[in-house]
Amino acid sequence: MKFVMGETPVLKKPVVPPHYPLAPMELVFEISQFLYREARILDEERYEEWLGMMTDDIHYWMPGIQARHRKDKTPRLDPKRMAFFDDDMLNMRRRVTRFMDPTAWAEDPPTRAVHVISNIEVELTDKPDEFRVYSTFINCRGRGEAEEFWLTGRRTDILRRGDDGVLRIASREIVTTQTVLLAKNLNVFL
Amino acid sequence: MPTTIPITPVRNKHAQHATISADSLRKLVDFENGSIDRRLYWDEEIYRLELERIFARTWLFVAHESQVANYGDFLTTFMGEDGVIVTRDQQGKVRVFLNSCTHRGNRICLAEAGNKRRFTCNYHGWTFDSAGSLVGLPQEELYNNTCRDFDKAQLGIRNARVESYKGLVFATFNEEAESLEQFLGDYRWYLDILLDNDPGGTEFLPGNIKSRMQCNWKYPSENFAGDSYHAAWTHNSGAVALFGRGVDNKYDQSKVYQANVNGHGWQFGLDFIGNAMVLGEQDILDYLKENEAKFAARLGKLRSRMIGSISSANLFPHTSFLPGQNTFRTWHPKGPSQIELHTWVLVNKSAPEALKEMYMKGVMRSFSPSGVLEMDDGDNWENATATNLGVVTRQQKLHYGLGMDSKVEHDELKGNVHIRKYNDSNQLAFYGKWLELMCDEGAGAS
Repeated sequence: MKFVMGETPVLKKPVVPPHYPLAPMELVFEISQFLYREARILDEERYEEWLGMMTDDIHYWMPGIQARHRKDKTPRLDPKRMAFFDDDMLNMRRRVTRFMDPTAWAEDPPTRAVHVISNIEVELTDKPDEFRVYSTFINCRGRGEAEEFWLTGRRTDILRRGDDGVLRIASREIVTTQTVLLAKNLNVFL
Repeated sequence: MPTTIPITPVRNKHAQHATISADSLRKLVDFENGSIDRRLYWDEEIYRLELERIFARTWLFVAHESQVANYGDFLTTFMGEDGVIVTRDQQGKVRVFLNSCTHRGNRICLAEAGNKRRFTCNYHGWTFDSAGSLVGLPQEELYNNTCRDFDKAQLGIRNARVESYKGLVFATFNEEAESLEQFLGDYRWYLDILLDNDPGGTEFLPGNIKSRMQCNWKYPSENFAGDSYHAAWTHNSGAVALFGRGVDNKYDQSKVYQANVNGHGWQFGLDFIGNAMVLGEQDILDYLKENEAKFAARLGKLRSRMIGSISSANLFPHTSFLPGQNTFRTWHPKGPSQIELHTWVLVNKSAPEALKEMYMKGVMRSFSPSGVLEMDDGDNWENATATNLGVVTRQQKLHYGLGMDSKVEHDELKGNVHIRKYNDSNQLAFYGKWLELMCDEGAGAS
């Protein structure tokens, strides 16, 4: 049996990725600023203003992730499986109400959160007022003396420009790296 | 002058035979005065003994039958700290066996769920079937030529005993263990409220949310067994979010109960829908109300009032649920101060699909890591565990004396019944079972 040193029929070859038309620089700048501002508003616990950055028909979804074999034909992100968040505006308001209640004992003293947002890509869609926006985040929560919870993930947002010209989040999908959440809770929005 | 470096004896952290005597264990729980020594929550030796004498000895919930409905369906979970595969074999029997190759010990299944009929180890390719039997290995002839009496039949993976109760699959590696029927005893009368209020039976909805908490496994277990007292205080903010107002903790205690059987606890009212209200969906309340007469015909009036009432339960040692709210969960031990929480949503199989989705989301919003109720529990249990690092702190015993006078006889309710939900009786019964097992030096899984 002879082994070939070099080219073989099974070696994978480079493929040119599809061409993505560039979104206008001004739009990318506007959306980047929007996402950075959103992160700061969350870090400052300005939850009502954060809700104000969403459309009334918001779908906020963070699916649970399962470690399944590659051969498994079930969808990797399956809306039929349990999730960490799968909410409409009413339920986002319920969550915010708990955060802001003075008897939310686990938030007092406050958990200290920082969201770092990066890898922002803006794609135009078929609808002139909607943009698909990819971004990544690193979220760090500090609590008590030494508790520190790191979470990182990818987000896919649909941002929609309203008749008033204002951008709002119409949907968000959040995918993290953890199948087992390595924290006692998820007292943060991502 | 000696020149050799003195060798410090290393404590064997995983000694098979712990050294705490039954007498010293008995001193840790004072049932007469209702007090418990904090050593239960921090001591490594106690923890090792719990793995041997509780988790390797009693029946443990491992799966719902709906999760392994077909041949080859599998999931991976834990029995104590032993990783296991739960799967359905070709004969249709649910199998539970260790998730570890008999060759070099490697874990043979890295996925948490799926369908496969063969489990092949990544290390050398030894392959096991859905019954854990060794069915193939690369170049088997090498063994036949070089190894005396090589017998594949002797190299299968150790199976646990498996028994089910109305959809819930339990397993134990203890050959001497009583039957599941005996283990559950009259607790089945209560379990039927959850598992048998509808002729179609129950199922778990897809998925499994998992998380880690830095707490001792007994804190959440005893909490679900009978800690009604914490709910109004700990969860006030969640109630404000879900109902627009806080919880009235001065409600009538004359028709609410705690009941326990063999260390399994259930605390409840007869208000029918209190827990279901936590799901925040009028349609779910309507579903329960529409079926109230059917529930009563099946379970009797009294038990039908418990279907969705304000209640919580723990099936000893570490499997908890909220009737009517329908979270179902296990608190897997990961050392004296860590657990891995696995949660599911249990529903009636015959419930409309749209309703099942409402249950799933309602459970997520209330009792999941992001849930407006669960978020405050984790913080409490972690801090209740962490304080015991202090050598002085750990000297002060904890108070478990609420409701010492509350035992009653009841015509219908089974097991040990206590009036008033604000009561430590189920928690003391949990520790009663704990102590009984811990003091028993006899056989377990060995």
